[in-house]
Amino acid sequence: MLGPDLINVVRVGCGLELASKKRLIETLAGLLARDHPRLQAETVFEHLLERERLGSTGLGHGVALPHSRMKDVTTAIGAFVQTVQGVDYDASDGEAVDLAFALLVPEEANDEHLRLLAHLASLFNDPSRRVRLREATSADEILQILTAH
Amino acid sequence: MELTNHIILLGSSVVFVSVLASVITARVGAPLLLVFLVMGMLFGEDGPGGIVFDDTQLAHLLGNLALAVILFDGGLATCYKDFRVGLRPALGLATLGVLMTTAITGLFAVWWLELSWLEGLLLGAIVGSTDAAAVFSLLRSNGIELKQRVGATLEIESGSNDPMAIFLTVALIELLRTNPDHIGLMLLTEFIRQMGLGTLFGLGGGFGLVWLVNRLKMSAGLYPLAIMAGGMCLFGITATLNGSGFLAIYLAGIVIGNRPLEARLEIKRFHDGLARLAQIGMFLMLGLLVTPSALLPVADDALLFALVLILVARPLAVWLCLWPFRFPWREQVFIGWVGLRGAVPIILALFPLLAGLNQAPMIFNIVFFVVLVSLLIQGWTVIGLARKLELEVPPSTHLVQRVELDIPGQQELELVGYRLAANAPIIADAAALRTRLPPGARLVAVLRSGQWLDQCGPVQMRAEDHVYLLADPSELSELDRLFVAVPEAEAERLSEQAFFGEFVLQGSSRLADLCAFYGVKADPTDAALTLDALMRRALNTHPVVGDRLQLGALELVVRAVEDDRITQVGLKLPREM
Repeated sequence: MLGPDLINVVRVGCGLELASKKRLIETLAGLLARDHPRLQAETVFEHLLERERLGSTGLGHGVALPHSRMKDVTTAIGAFVQTVQGVDYDASDGEAVDLAFALLVPEEANDEHLRLLAHLASLFNDPSRRVRLREATSADEILQILTAH
Repeated sequence: MELTNHIILLGSSVVFVSVLASVITARVGAPLLLVFLVMGMLFGEDGPGGIVFDDTQLAHLLGNLALAVILFDGGLATCYKDFRVGLRPALGLATLGVLMTTAITGLFAVWWLELSWLEGLLLGAIVGSTDAAAVFSLLRSNGIELKQRVGATLEIESGSNDPMAIFLTVALIELLRTNPDHIGLMLLTEFIRQMGLGTLFGLGGGFGLVWLVNRLKMSAGLYPLAIMAGGMCLFGITATLNGSGFLAIYLAGIVIGNRPLEARLEIKRFHDGLARLAQIGMFLMLGLLVTPSALLPVADDALLFALVLILVARPLAVWLCLWPFRFPWREQVFIGWVGLRGAVPIILALFPLLAGLNQAPMIFNIVFFVVLVSLLIQGWTVIGLARKLELEVPPSTHLVQRVELDIPGQQELELVGYRLAANAPIIADAAALRTRLPPGARLVAVLRSGQWLDQCGPVQMRAEDHVYLLADPSELSELDRLFVAVPEAEAERLSEQAFFGEFVLQGSSRLADLCAFYGVKADPTDAALTLDALMRRALNTHPVVGDRLQLGALELVVRAVEDDRITQVGLKLPREM
């Protein structure tokens, strides 16, 4: 379900040392903007942070799913980060977050994008997938776990 | 001497066998109280037990006593917080609702059973009160938590409608016996005196009792007794002065249960057990008292009467009484259906027997039959209905054992115990014990096949281990996440994410922002509203956890409420295709 347009190995960070929620989102924004022709890490960061003001995008169980709509993207793109230590993310269950998937969808978003978001959330609902993601030691391995059915 | 021993043996074996039987029948979902009622009938004169018990006077005394104990415990267990959403609708149901059911069922009885006006209304009044204790013991034993608005309304209603039904019954019997000139005036003054005295002595006595008990130094075991005796005194004083003793003891219970109190744990546990005994004893006794063979001749009429009560009178009364409060229809349907009749009607049916009314035996048998039907039909369907109408909320805790610790001058602490299932999260993720244990919680002990594990080393937990922790009560839900394996089906149906949605939004967020991030369309005039304001406007009543609002493809679910403001809203995304 997660195609190469959505997530690829360039936008996966493995075993990063991040100290705060802000740094985590900054890193994700950097990954999203990395090989994109129009995106700027700064604006992506602001958009993602703006969404956090409505309420934390922490899903619980140490996973966060920050997301936003942006007019500079034409198709949904994602980035993933696994951190060494959990960061405080104001998640509803109070758990520190060490797995985070950021999603950007185009401005003219529709139900399909909402469903993509729901699909991502359900992906991280699977306890064994979370364990494997935490045990993964390389970006390639993480990508495999993410895209596996 | 012989006789005394025989009575003790007989009484205790009846209770013992009934308790054993209830363990078995609980598996098929039969309402506990129905079981005791039927056991009583089996032990009685027409059953294999063959015990003849027809002392109406004794039954009346014990019944009233048991009822007072049960109402007292009901009051003690009622939380002030529930009043916010439940008090006004429940009071409407307890007064107007009882009047309406009385009138509708009464008129039907007058027409169909060809009773006189007053006798018909008397029959209606006797079956007027509901028994939520039966419903709640059923729900709790099945681990179901109802939405607060429904639960609170039913609970407060059932506590406060007994005094009303009792008042109507007593007043109607009085009218039948004396035939006074000014019926209306007499009813009104009687009502004011009963309820006025009941309220006065209940509230005043409750505060007084708390004040007194908190100033006495005695051994912990005596506090519950002091409270119980005090409550019973209030009942007695009020009733002697022709007030409503039942209202008084219920209100006193509420006051006592919600004030800071010495030895409150002992007191609550004691009354919980006492109320249980009272219920079991009362139903057994009432089962013994009735002559089942005498029920058959009235069965047709009684069944019809019960159906009118269940299908017409109660739903209509609920609908009219709840109309100003705009409960969602699902909740109205549920409250309308869960008008379970319990012991109170049977006890009230003893009143006309004692008063020596002509129709009293027939009234008693009809009422008994109605209660049986109600317990059978409504009692057996209530769980399925709660699920069908989606009135469940995810349970806040799955604790196996918990002991509140009364440490003087200390923060609240509880000793909690879990027995680990094979798929408990902590077994799959051993590191969680270090990283995810809430800050206020301490692992105290792990017990494996009867042996304490050495705790200094890292503990790898296994299935069947018993784990004990000290924890702050507010952290219990976090502990549950670590130590409790939720069954697959259950997890699918009521996991937090399935129920509240994927994300949590602040109640103070603006609708406009939500629309901007998710591309949903909303009325531009609403854009400046906060989610809190938007949902409260749509609900038009006090919000409770679990209330929902559809917004385009998104669904908003109330997740937390503080002082009538929605502080957290769950955001539920559309299901995948």
